[in-house]
Amino acid sequence: MTNFLDTLSLLVLLTAFILIANKRIKSYIRTFRLQSLFIAIGAGIIGLESFAQEGRFDALILSVIMIILKVIYIPNLLDNTYAHVDHTVEKDFFLNIPILIFISFLLFLFSYFSFSSIEGLHEGKVNLQMINLVSVVLIGLFFMITRKKAIGQIVGFLVLENGLFATAMFVTQGMPFIVDLGIFIDLLTGVLIMGLMVFKINEKFDSIDINKMKNLRG
Amino acid sequence: MGLFLLMIPLITVLLALVIKNRRLLHGLSLFTSALLFMVAIGLTKKILLWGQINEPTWNGFFYVDALSIIVLDIVIILGFLVSIYSVGYLEEDVRQGKIDEKRIRLYYILLYAFIFTMILSLTVKNIGIMWVAIEATTLASVFLVGFYNTKKALEAAWKYVIICSVGISLAFLGIIFLHLSSLGVLGKEQFLDWTALFAQAEALKSPLLRLSFLFILVGFGTKAGLAPMHTWLPGAHSQAPSPISALLSGVLLNSAMYGIMRSVAIVNKNLAGSTFTGNLLIAAGLLSIGIAAVVIISQKEYKNLLAYSSIEHMGIIAFSLGLFTPASIFGALLHMINHSLTKSMLFFATGNILHTYHTGRISKIKGILKRMPVSGTAFLLGLFAIAGTPPFSIFASEVNVIAAVFLNGRFIIGAIFAFLLAVIFAGIVFNMLPMFYGESADEEIPVQKNNLLGTGAILLLLILILITGFYLPNDLKELIYSAQRIMMGE
Repeated sequence: MTNFLDTLSLLVLLTAFILIANKRIKSYIRTFRLQSLFIAIGAGIIGLESFAQEGRFDALILSVIMIILKVIYIPNLLDNTYAHVDHTVEKDFFLNIPILIFISFLLFLFSYFSFSSIEGLHEGKVNLQMINLVSVVLIGLFFMITRKKAIGQIVGFLVLENGLFATAMFVTQGMPFIVDLGIFIDLLTGVLIMGLMVFKINEKFDSIDINKMKNLRG
Repeated sequence: MGLFLLMIPLITVLLALVIKNRRLLHGLSLFTSALLFMVAIGLTKKILLWGQINEPTWNGFFYVDALSIIVLDIVIILGFLVSIYSVGYLEEDVRQGKIDEKRIRLYYILLYAFIFTMILSLTVKNIGIMWVAIEATTLASVFLVGFYNTKKALEAAWKYVIICSVGISLAFLGIIFLHLSSLGVLGKEQFLDWTALFAQAEALKSPLLRLSFLFILVGFGTKAGLAPMHTWLPGAHSQAPSPISALLSGVLLNSAMYGIMRSVAIVNKNLAGSTFTGNLLIAAGLLSIGIAAVVIISQKEYKNLLAYSSIEHMGIIAFSLGLFTPASIFGALLHMINHSLTKSMLFFATGNILHTYHTGRISKIKGILKRMPVSGTAFLLGLFAIAGTPPFSIFASEVNVIAAVFLNGRFIIGAIFAFLLAVIFAGIVFNMLPMFYGESADEEIPVQKNNLLGTGAILLLLILILITGFYLPNDLKELIYSAQRIMMGE
């Protein structure tokens, strides 16, 4: 069981690295879909176990919601949005890809060293899932600040949220169910709102390049 | 009774979805906020009587005590005043062609969704649901920030939604650690429960709790506008319609600060001292005040100046929370109330100024006192109040905080704090006074009498902050004292 989840958390981390190496918005969305699938599988495994042991359904339900929302609905929505706004293909990132991967690796090392020294987090051995998944959060954050397009930021935000959700799911094995549901509702409205705003930005600024938004001065 | 508080704004949102007539919409909004106001009075009385309300429905989901009722009352009172002010403001906007008549409906729908999420975040016992509600406040208010649909407004809204969502996500990481630290201590039905966490605080795992507080401070601090996570705030506050700016400054920042307060109480009880949280909060507070001071001196737009002043006042609250003595907590809570009332009054006044002068630049405005005697005078007095001049209430609470620092023996920090406040005072006076005197450049524009009701709300607030500068009602004092006891764990 723990081995399974360790492996899955590693796969989730791997998808975060793939994401940071991606060049095209289409492939961001595809990678996000894959990552969500891994997390949904993890939630499914936890759900099956808790169902077998205690007869609880909640993790299974979460796994299903995850598949419907994050593997199917949101990626399709983003694909759709992108199809409607994009006109030109241009370089989307500030630093080149090897540097991006290198920095992400440093982020992973950072979370490894900071989390393996915290007492109370581990009983006996280092909590690998925690380290992997918090790295996903950090890489998601890093992804957001390195991309120029609004959709890149949305995907970064989603990956960050994925990392958080997976941490909550894998490591604690069960936040209160209503909290998880609330997070999904927030996430869905959040993505809908951001998607709508991408259209508006495209309309007003004639592109979805965040760099053009420099009118506000403090 | 308490659940009404959550039902009323929800029903209003649903009704506003159906109603098309704009007179009816204004009426609905006034009626709802008055109703909320009445329920809140009842609730406050009960809290004074019993100390807390914990309704058994849905596993004790609804929970209010003295600490939350203070913030909740601010939400509802300001909500009431905003609904009064909005009527005239929106009508004037429509008359000047800034917005389409149909958007009034959207405004009210979003406004009450916003108020609903804020009430929800303050009336739940579960910190996870509180997180969900605070994230929802961002989502409900994005389109209010970007209401005018200009390039700048859109940019402000985008920054707002991205920075706040990311920041608040980090708070969720903190909540996960909080949850981890309580595993094995709390029972399953008590997970993430404020009261249970606080009651069992000594048994929680300290290293995890420290980690959790770091993330919670960054996360809720983003939403509360603490530096260096404040970057969304000036844009959002200056681009939003004035009544919304009043709500953002007066209410939203407080709700996030409330989350920090609760976790400070838990962490301090666990660590049996306030050094850890204190140092962090004092640093964040001083940094916020310092950044605000630097920007306010060189500010060119009045709404921006007010936004930075909100950062300053959140800094003051964080600062005095960090001291964590009874006197400083009293000061922090009182300052929260005073800042909300004063700042929302100022934002209301800027709404009137904006409608008369059509510009946000300080340098383009002259002779406010002549053109708009009533709201101009109120604005002038309000500026002195927000800068901390006696006899207004902000002066009273700032003196409280300063006294608490020096009584605590932290002379250097106290001196820096007082110096920064003086700089800000000078900055506000120096920048803003030229607006009031002199001759306005385009005299031919007639003096407008816009928003009579709204001006009434401004005057009401002015009187309130003037009176509370001298005199605090006993009930209010009692509430603050019991909130203080809740935080100190006595």
